[in-house]
Amino acid sequence: MIDFRNLSRRRFLELSGATGVALGVSGAGLMRPALAATPLAPVAEEDAVIAFGYVGPTSDEGWTWQHDQGRLAVQEAFPKAKTIFVENIPYSADAGRTFRQFVSEGANMIITNSTYGDFIYDVAKNAPETAFLHCDDRTLMDNMGVFYPSHWYPSYVTGVAAGHMSESSKLGYVASFPVPSSFAGSNAFLLGARSVKPDATIQVIAINSWFDPQASTQAARALIDNGADVLFGIMDEPGYLQVAEQRGKKAVMLNTDSRKYGPNAYVSSIMFDFRKFYVDQVRARLEGKWVPGQFLLPFGDGTDRDAWGETVPAGAAKAADEVREKILGGWNPFQGEIKDNKGEVRVPAGQSMSDNDIYNWNWSVDGSSGLA
Amino acid sequence: MDLLAGLIQTAILAGGVLALAALGEVLAERVGVVNLGVEGLIALGAITGIATVVAVPSPTLGLILAMLVGLLAGMVFATATVIIRANQILCGLALTLMGTGVAAMVGKAYSGIPAPVTFAPIAIPFLSDLPLVGRALFTQNVLVYVIYLVLPFALHHLLFRTRHGLDLRAVGENPAAADAAGIPVTRIRFWYVSAGAALAAGAGAYLTLAFVPSWSEGVVAGRGWIAVALVIFAGYRPWTAVGAALLFGLITSLGFVGQARNWPIAAPVLSMLPYLGTIALMIVPVLAWQKVRRLMAAPAALGEPYFRDVR
Repeated sequence: MIDFRNLSRRRFLELSGATGVALGVSGAGLMRPALAATPLAPVAEEDAVIAFGYVGPTSDEGWTWQHDQGRLAVQEAFPKAKTIFVENIPYSADAGRTFRQFVSEGANMIITNSTYGDFIYDVAKNAPETAFLHCDDRTLMDNMGVFYPSHWYPSYVTGVAAGHMSESSKLGYVASFPVPSSFAGSNAFLLGARSVKPDATIQVIAINSWFDPQASTQAARALIDNGADVLFGIMDEPGYLQVAEQRGKKAVMLNTDSRKYGPNAYVSSIMFDFRKFYVDQVRARLEGKWVPGQFLLPFGDGTDRDAWGETVPAGAAKAADEVREKILGGWNPFQGEIKDNKGEVRVPAGQSMSDNDIYNWNWSVDGSSGLA
Repeated sequence: MDLLAGLIQTAILAGGVLALAALGEVLAERVGVVNLGVEGLIALGAITGIATVVAVPSPTLGLILAMLVGLLAGMVFATATVIIRANQILCGLALTLMGTGVAAMVGKAYSGIPAPVTFAPIAIPFLSDLPLVGRALFTQNVLVYVIYLVLPFALHHLLFRTRHGLDLRAVGENPAAADAAGIPVTRIRFWYVSAGAALAAGAGAYLTLAFVPSWSEGVVAGRGWIAVALVIFAGYRPWTAVGAALLFGLITSLGFVGQARNWPIAAPVLSMLPYLGTIALMIVPVLAWQKVRRLMAAPAALGEPYFRDVR
């Protein structure tokens, strides 16, 4: 009962990720070319049913809330279509039942904001006319695409700001599980900080949940007691920002503008905006042009940093924004030589990491400890 | 040193939720009623606390109103279990579902609003400057002192040092005998179950007004169930219940500190520590000393509705 719904989201994605690679979807590229599938038949707007399956409550002020904004945008763009949603879908057979229910209600497209592994694959196999968009997964099917925001770029940018702001050169990261999103977030943040302070380190604590304000608060306290003065994390709630505010430290957040929780501690947020992506995907589906693929919401268009907090020094903000402009201009910050935290060179000098490498990141960079 | 002081301070703060809820459950179980609605009651108290301080910036008022809401919910539960004598387990589960559901519904309007006022930590002069323990023990908010010192003392005195306490323990052990001795079984059960529910809801207010100062759905995160388990572990005694809650808070915090210090133990194992610790601590003393087994025993009539005519 205790961690039931926390079990669900993305927890098993390493597993499903491994499956994806094994199935031969390895490769490169930002937008993976679609499978050679024929597009599904077009649907008239008034007949269309678009279903959304959420891992959390839409009132979470974070991840699920952000996805629901996308649903509302779809409803606005296609007023005659019907959108339906179910909240708090656990990673269990209940998920399969929910998606099957969507299909029997005539859903033409089902969008989830978490991974559901076999529970959703089984449904998708038996519903070839329904398009599936599976968040943070790595398995493509004839009628199933995957999507995720490329959060590592704004993580790098805010890391640059953190490098300027940190006095102890110690950063802290509140992780959920040791999954690629946690690795990518903490690694990118540290690499950004190290571009300013080469001796910076990051300490990661995994609380084994996406949503547990009590645990994230305790983790944040332990990180600060250990010397960290800028925190970052992958939580769906603002617990560690509140701790940073109390203790006079700084924090970079995820999902939404949460500065009201800690106006002095707030540095920025990795902001997601699924509205345009969802509307585009639904339009393609209705017009009969939708084909599955691996979609990463690009930096600057669905994934970005929030406006800087009021206590961020102008110099730090300026330096970080210069890096942001560079990345938007096509510069890849994830360039070799990058060592892992055991001293082994993982990305040799002269090479760089592709989005796909980062999307599947499963090792910690030099200076990061706690995850693996 | 900073780390150790921080560890103890966080442990005390985190254990407070469990301690208060467990004290409430001790009251209910001592009079023979299992209340599995603690999780729901904490949720109700948490949302009442935050809703109150958003309207009126007084954390004390938030706490009082939360406890009143808990009292009312407890009275509904007691009416069902003590007066109507319905199944306590089912009613408790219903209370949990109802409590978390109502709190989530009301909470939609409040999620994302940080508590405008909280029970702020108070540094006690001189004592808070002591090395190591100063920061950990003497810069806490006022509720912490009430939960860890005042309440367990008062409840222990009530249960084991007064005539009334003897009466209410008798109700939990053997309601038929208590009834024959002229003790008002139904009345005692009704009010102590309700009072216990009020304390559990108070734990919710503590959660949103002192520990995690905001409401979000799922903020209770199963701590109500842990409180129920701690009561059994604590042998239905106030001081041990508080001690168990503190121990639980300590082991939880230790897991995070362990990660912060890079102890060579996997994170999932560190997350398991509190539960492993609880199990170990429940088993070891009972195996070691026969006497403890008797001391830690549940009230004999726990979970049994009392029917006067079938005694």
